[in-house]
Amino acid sequence: MKAWLPFAGVGVLAALAGASLWLASTPTIPTPLKSEAVEAAPAAVMAAKFVDHEGKSRVLGQIAGKVIVVNFWATWCTPCVEEMPGFARVQARWEARGVRFVGLANDDPAKVKAFGERLAINYPLWTGEAAVMDLSRRLGNRIGVLPHTVLLDGEGQVIESRIGIYAEEKLEARLKEILPQGI
Amino acid sequence: MQGYFGRFSGTMRRFLGLAAALACLAFPARAASPDDPLEADQAFRPTVRLISGTADTSGRHGIDIEYRIAAGYYLYRDRMRFEVLPATLLIAPAEFPRGLEVEDPFLGKSVIFRQSATIHLPFTVSSVRPGQYRVRITAQGCAENRLCYAPFVQELPLNIPPGYRVTDSPVRPLPPGLQR
Repeated sequence: MKAWLPFAGVGVLAALAGASLWLASTPTIPTPLKSEAVEAAPAAVMAAKFVDHEGKSRVLGQIAGKVIVVNFWATWCTPCVEEMPGFARVQARWEARGVRFVGLANDDPAKVKAFGERLAINYPLWTGEAAVMDLSRRLGNRIGVLPHTVLLDGEGQVIESRIGIYAEEKLEARLKEILPQGI
Repeated sequence: MQGYFGRFSGTMRRFLGLAAALACLAFPARAASPDDPLEADQAFRPTVRLISGTADTSGRHGIDIEYRIAAGYYLYRDRMRFEVLPATLLIAPAEFPRGLEVEDPFLGKSVIFRQSATIHLPFTVSSVRPGQYRVRITAQGCAENRLCYAPFVQELPLNIPPGYRVTDSPVRPLPPGLQR
């Protein structure tokens, strides 16, 4: 048995303890929070059915974009409603670069339409029943909270899944990382 | 093995133990960050209590549902729904405490509960068959300024013992469409 092993062990433990104390004392990252494991296959995500404001059946696969920002929300969810005008601004700035937003709500279609008009939302707001929260859960939202925002690539592969408010500047910074060339 | 560690001094062993303990304590503290949202059942904890007109001098009868609500969280009053299953046990509309009226620029006025709330569900019949029942609650709530919970269901067991009587208080009228 090597004589230096115990000293190395002490060093590792001390470093571990120090690092852990430092981690525990640093401020926690504010929302949005990373969600949990994604269970939905990309094909299933893109095939999930919803209804648009005219009552027409829609699937995410119909959205052609390099990055699809799927926002799960509800008209009664204040944090959701607060973040949506920021999403509309990001949509306007990033549309030419292949970013497409869509809002999904398990809510009254008439209310959703009225909210969309009132908030001047420039991206589609679709509704569905249990399928909305079911998809949200399978995309990492195990505890079923709103808002929940998922960034997909054009094939339906999850790039990022976040719960809580996704601030406009943070989302835009993330899009710059994903699409560094801009186009 | 004993001989191997036996070569360390007592001070060294204490240091090793301390370092290990610190590591064990600190990492779980990080994992349970205060920013992590609670499960709905942790944020909103209901308990149910059978209220007997014979035992309670107020003369009330039915059940009380007491919610303990975690700090920073709230429940919407008008989004709560109650059922008792099996539905042979009829309940009148819920009686809520006052709550806190809030005005939201998007949602208008609503009443919320913070910290705690006791909701009373009166029975609408004068005799209640003893047995095992379940109280099913559908509720919605939020974590302040952060996120909201999609409608969630909580179920609580309710035992009505033999001999439970509600005859000490006046029987409430049945809802329209129902007959005694």
